[in-house]
Amino acid sequence: MRALPRQDVVVHGRKNPESVEHYELAYTYNLPRRGTRVLLAGQHQWRRARRAGAAQMNRLSVRPVRRLPLMHAKRAAAIWCVLAVLALAVLIASLALGSVPLAPARVLAALLPLPGHGGAPADLAGEIVRSLRLPRALAGFACGALLAVAGALLQVLLRNPLAEPYVLGVSGGAASLALLAMMAGCAWWLVDASAFAGAFVSILLVLGLARRELWRGEPQDTSPRLLLTGAVIAAGWGALITLLLTLAPDNRLRGMLFWLTGDLNGVGVPWLALAALAAVLVAIVPAAPQLNVLLRGDAAAQALGVSVMRLRLRVYLVASLAAAAAVTTGGTIGFVGLVVPHALRLAFGNDQRMLLPAAALGGGVAVMGADLVARTVVAPAQLPVGVITALIGVPVFLWMLLRRPR
Amino acid sequence: MTTRTLPGVTHDSITPPATLSVQHLTLRAGARTLLDRFTHTFYPGEVWCIAGPNGAGKTTLISALAGLLLPAAGHVELDGVRVPDWPSASLARRRALMPQSAHDAFSASVLDIVMLNRFPHLTGWGWERPADRAAAHAALDLLGLSAFATRDVLSLSGGERQRVALAAVLCQEAPLLLLDEPLSHLDLHHQIGCLEALTGWAVEPKRTVVFSCHDLNLARRFATHALLLDGAGSAFAGPVREVLTPTLASRAFGYPLILLQDGGHEALIPAPRPQTAQGEAAGPSS
Repeated sequence: MRALPRQDVVVHGRKNPESVEHYELAYTYNLPRRGTRVLLAGQHQWRRARRAGAAQMNRLSVRPVRRLPLMHAKRAAAIWCVLAVLALAVLIASLALGSVPLAPARVLAALLPLPGHGGAPADLAGEIVRSLRLPRALAGFACGALLAVAGALLQVLLRNPLAEPYVLGVSGGAASLALLAMMAGCAWWLVDASAFAGAFVSILLVLGLARRELWRGEPQDTSPRLLLTGAVIAAGWGALITLLLTLAPDNRLRGMLFWLTGDLNGVGVPWLALAALAAVLVAIVPAAPQLNVLLRGDAAAQALGVSVMRLRLRVYLVASLAAAAAVTTGGTIGFVGLVVPHALRLAFGNDQRMLLPAAALGGGVAVMGADLVARTVVAPAQLPVGVITALIGVPVFLWMLLRRPR
Repeated sequence: MTTRTLPGVTHDSITPPATLSVQHLTLRAGARTLLDRFTHTFYPGEVWCIAGPNGAGKTTLISALAGLLLPAAGHVELDGVRVPDWPSASLARRRALMPQSAHDAFSASVLDIVMLNRFPHLTGWGWERPADRAAAHAALDLLGLSAFATRDVLSLSGGERQRVALAAVLCQEAPLLLLDEPLSHLDLHHQIGCLEALTGWAVEPKRTVVFSCHDLNLARRFATHALLLDGAGSAFAGPVREVLTPTLASRAFGYPLILLQDGGHEALIPAPRPQTAQGEAAGPSS
């Protein structure tokens, strides 16, 4: 960094006595009336100086600085409020839009049986909202929230940004048994039950094989074994799924493919998923400060008074059961669990105290919104929601990732 | 960098100094005995350097002192209470550990990383209070890192991250500091700066600092005491100038060292490899 005379240093447009070496991005530029100036800091100020008439910006140093705002309780609460309002808006849109568009007022009237109506009027609009759209929207919210929380948790547990809810084989187990039930032509509740049973088998398998990483043994800083165990089990389930698809009769194949992509069509009871979401949040949000510490490594966390092995087991169980509940409700909806936590991290930072509730709200908004698109964009036909989450998620995520200077 | 105590953080002087003692401590790695029935007490105000060749058990000893690792025999006591009997949160307020490496998989601001070490002091919903923030800023200040507070930790160099990790354990405000290789990745200027900060930290109020280090000359200059491990079970503990002597260090490191003295300055340097005189000057390894 070139040494600069002190009186020339301008930060935020005013003279500043601080030394230049605290900043890593500096420009010199000439203003028509004010002579040579030095600009420190980022893009925003750069553009302002440019507009003020600087003809040429000479870069002194080329290391861009990214300053991260600090997280505190008030900022977290503000983020949650914005996301909650967004969720409410998408919920109302989900209830109002569709093959029979309804005004928001009628949606409200259908939801709250007003005393003026007297009893329960069996009007068509109320029936559509109450028995079709509301369960589906709530199920979508719960699935998305569960998946995003599970993804955020596994990214912390495995200390790996590529982790997602399905990386340890939960979805593979669920899909294998669910497809088997569909092949046999079972009722929907039996398909759901088999999906949950499959997820549970997979969870137990990983628990047994990676016991040293999860509940026995000493805290270790490097634990690729858990990730590898889970990934191999997931690959095994993948092979089984392919086998089932090749053996399946043609008339069942379409339903099976929809299940695999993730589909909220025909969800009858969203309450199970919502109850699971509440249980997951109660079980893990109080541990958020410990999760922050866990990210620094097992030894550091243990030294700070976190019982690492117990926390690991708790995180694994909560994340897996969340993924299992989501998969049981909506099939293997992809991409939400990977993209939503990362998008929130890129936007607001990686504080788990903020991130876990925000991921629940954000994931819910994402899947509820994607399902709204899935059932309206080519209406009356319906797309599986997993297609939409991936189609929207990939470009949005790439844009967020690439626009940030590192 | 000058030696300072943290301004604005005076309430920690209430915390009484910590006395760490080990009794008949035996550490093993596989079949090898690293430390054999070692008994010793580390007193407040002392700055201890743990030295020894690679694999001699420096990290193992520090983990055992911190209570992360159960020794093969014997026990570690902090303030007269065995370390496993301490409630983990109170223990974390009494002793801080800086592990050899820290993980940064996700971006976070330097201040957030440093403030993670306030975890044992958090109450309620687990959000930091202004006192925690002040402690983190003061620790960053002490190591000359205040300009880095809002920087992304992933954009820092290895040495800068090392200093951030050191600031983090300082802001834990524990009267016992255990540091595993705090000077690795640092250039000479920052090694000295960090050691000055640490020695200042140990003096007012009186605190115990134990760190492992490969540079015997920096240890002789900044530590008050040294613990020399030879990796074969024995350990020498005492004032730094009585332990890090050419005789003892040569024996522990398996290579002849000599002490150069020039006026008030002195340096332990490796002896020139004996090429002609093979007789008595040859190292003990041959």
